[in-house]
Amino acid sequence: MDHRQQQLSHILRQFDDCADFTHKAFPELHADLLYFDHMVDSQKLYREVTAPILSASESELQNALDRLSGARMEADRDIVVAILSGSVALIYREQAYVIDMYNPKGRSISQSESETTITGPHDAFSEPVGDTLSLIRRRIKSSHLKCVRMKVGEISKTDVFLLYVADIVNMHYVDELSRRIRGIEIDAVHDTNMLVQLIDDRPSSIFPQFFTTERPDAIASKLAAGRVVGIMDGSPSAFSAPTSFFEFFTSSDDYYQRWSLGTATRALRFFSFAVTILFTCFYVSVTTFHYEMIPQNLLLTLSESRSRVPFPPVYEALLMELVIELLREAGARLPTKIGQTIGIVGGIVIGQAAVQAGFTSNILIIVVASSAISSFVMPSYIMSASIRLIRFGLIILAGIWGNLGITVGVAYLIIHLCHLTSLGSSYMTPVAPHKPGDWADVFIRAPFKLLKTRPSQAKSPNPARMKMKK
Amino acid sequence: MRNARWRRLPLPLLLIAAFALGGCGDQRILERIGFIQSTSYDLMPNGELKIAVAIPRLEAESNEKREVLSTTAPTSKQARIKMSRETSLQLVSGQLRVTLLGRSFAEAGIGNQLDTQIRDPAISPLMKIAVVNGDAEQLLNQRYSQHPRTDRYIERILEKEAGTHAIPKATLHQFVRDYYDDGIDPVAPMIRKAGKNIVIDGIALFRDDRFVYRLPPQDAMIFAFMRSRFKQGEIGINLQHQGAPREAVMVTSLVSQRSVKVSGSGPGTTVTVRVALDGTVLEYVGGLKLGKPKDLRKLERKIEAYVSGQAEAMMKNMQRAGADGIGIGAYVRNSMSYADWKRTNWRELYSQIDVRCKVKMTIKNVGKMK
Repeated sequence: MDHRQQQLSHILRQFDDCADFTHKAFPELHADLLYFDHMVDSQKLYREVTAPILSASESELQNALDRLSGARMEADRDIVVAILSGSVALIYREQAYVIDMYNPKGRSISQSESETTITGPHDAFSEPVGDTLSLIRRRIKSSHLKCVRMKVGEISKTDVFLLYVADIVNMHYVDELSRRIRGIEIDAVHDTNMLVQLIDDRPSSIFPQFFTTERPDAIASKLAAGRVVGIMDGSPSAFSAPTSFFEFFTSSDDYYQRWSLGTATRALRFFSFAVTILFTCFYVSVTTFHYEMIPQNLLLTLSESRSRVPFPPVYEALLMELVIELLREAGARLPTKIGQTIGIVGGIVIGQAAVQAGFTSNILIIVVASSAISSFVMPSYIMSASIRLIRFGLIILAGIWGNLGITVGVAYLIIHLCHLTSLGSSYMTPVAPHKPGDWADVFIRAPFKLLKTRPSQAKSPNPARMKMKK
Repeated sequence: MRNARWRRLPLPLLLIAAFALGGCGDQRILERIGFIQSTSYDLMPNGELKIAVAIPRLEAESNEKREVLSTTAPTSKQARIKMSRETSLQLVSGQLRVTLLGRSFAEAGIGNQLDTQIRDPAISPLMKIAVVNGDAEQLLNQRYSQHPRTDRYIERILEKEAGTHAIPKATLHQFVRDYYDDGIDPVAPMIRKAGKNIVIDGIALFRDDRFVYRLPPQDAMIFAFMRSRFKQGEIGINLQHQGAPREAVMVTSLVSQRSVKVSGSGPGTTVTVRVALDGTVLEYVGGLKLGKPKDLRKLERKIEAYVSGQAEAMMKNMQRAGADGIGIGAYVRNSMSYADWKRTNWRELYSQIDVRCKVKMTIKNVGKMK
């Protein structure tokens, strides 16, 4: 058995019991084609490989092969990996060529389901990493946009790309991030949101420490701001780092609206954050401990509606919050058409019947509903889910210690937030450390002529965004 | 990483502690408490206090809007303990809005009661104080068919009338502040029962913590001019002299400025209170043609003469009663050194000094009718 036969049988043995594996032999040409049919572009394969070698005579064949846009490979292992990544392996006599024909069938570029905006671009990343890269490259036409490739997962061997704009990014972050990604030891990674949890500074924290998004315009702006971006094959989200807590309160919409509207919307988000975590627990603490704080007019209606409720306020509130969470979770899992039914059933059951049956007070319904609505104002779903969970802890604290409990809970929350880091930089930037220069783009969205510098958290060697003539 | 996990221990510990200590807090669940909205104090002939409290009732099944409890006891907190035997609710005073002082109680001096109320952190400093011309418990206990929520009714009357300066604002804070200030004496509105309603019955002037003099309602506005500057108020004046044709004017949208000047010293001290009034004439009955500037000036002079005459007469009465409700003492004190003030017996001096009132009335407009 010659070397060629040995190599071929070795590769074929690797793909034993792979029914989707294709092996085309051309004995008269001493050539073999090995590939996965569903991963390669079959037209391109015919045009560029099959047709030229079939039409070539024995003498021309070597030339035809050399013209192929493929690489010669020696090691069996490399060839196997290449085939798995969507290449076609052509084995001719003693030589093996690997030609990249990777063209998986993904869904087309469509609108993001979880991050919709009214104005601004509507395209969103989809699963194939090529589409994602292309969407980013289309937005940043610069050779300074660099792209580092890594593999993650013992079995999955998922492609992860780190993107950054050279000269704007602080290379320290790129090095740190690639060190962390290369250090991941896991069998498979299935989504970016899963990947970032493997490289978190504090994996046990409730808060996300990387900003993930499906929007290419948001990612382009993060790159331009000097942050590092990571994308992964098979996931429609990309992440950016380093991240601050306040980034989760911004949305690309803010920049497409007039600055005053963007500012107002941001104020609304900070307000909604406070409502989400504090409104229900404030109800509990006031009705359990601090009757002095209730305005006189509200007091009568409040205690009237409370007088029929058989539970103490803390159980009443936990029960209603639980029901709202059940409705949300059920609605999220079901198809849209059945989801509507859930909405109607939930609206009637909770809105009307629960109050009439004396199960809860109607003020609590308003409180719980407004805090649930507020939680959805958060542009980031991951952050919105985190703060919804925090609420439960605060309700329990409020039921036990009243306003003191809320204070203790909020203080713990602030201490925890100050303790967090993202790639080693403070999560609470620009509040702690105090960077008033960044506030124009964090708490308000100032007009563009005032947003002259990149965020200080990016520690960019090139911090000026805009050079305006006086 | 292991190290970091240990540092996160406080949260579970906190939660365990929170659950374990859960029963220890003094819970006041809304539907189980009776929040006292108004309370009244009367002095019994035997020296005990008669105390009544009114609590709103909220049961949907019952038509009763309120529950009034009353008892006699040596102190108010002892009365609270006695009253709580009569009710299913936990009595709390964090929503207390009005304290009614019976005339008998106010005349005997309310010092201790003030101390109790100011000491209790649950009681708001914005709580209103009013003196009842008569028996406070009866006024509170009465069923006013037109005003089922009597406590709200009393509070709203006091608030609304204070808004137009027909009565001085008397919150716990202001009352106590004036009580402890040696240059001014506290004042409070006075109310009484009038058939099916409650009516404002002038102003109660205190000397320290004792009610000493009742200012009739028609002097209330004059008192307001003398006491402080304000915006928004109205006054009706009867300018008719005996035998002359009928003449009356009503001035509204009053803006009143006040300045006080002290001259001389000792018993020769003269205090001049200058009041500048701006206002709109809304009603005039009489012989003057208000369209003419000359007549308008005449009307202004008449109003000035009336107000300053009334004010000086009112001051005489107040000096006789020894109640310095408008705070002349503070101006006299400011006109001398602290050592001199300490040497002065202000109570004695107050009855001797000469208080003058100069009024400058400006009619801004006379309404639509020219």
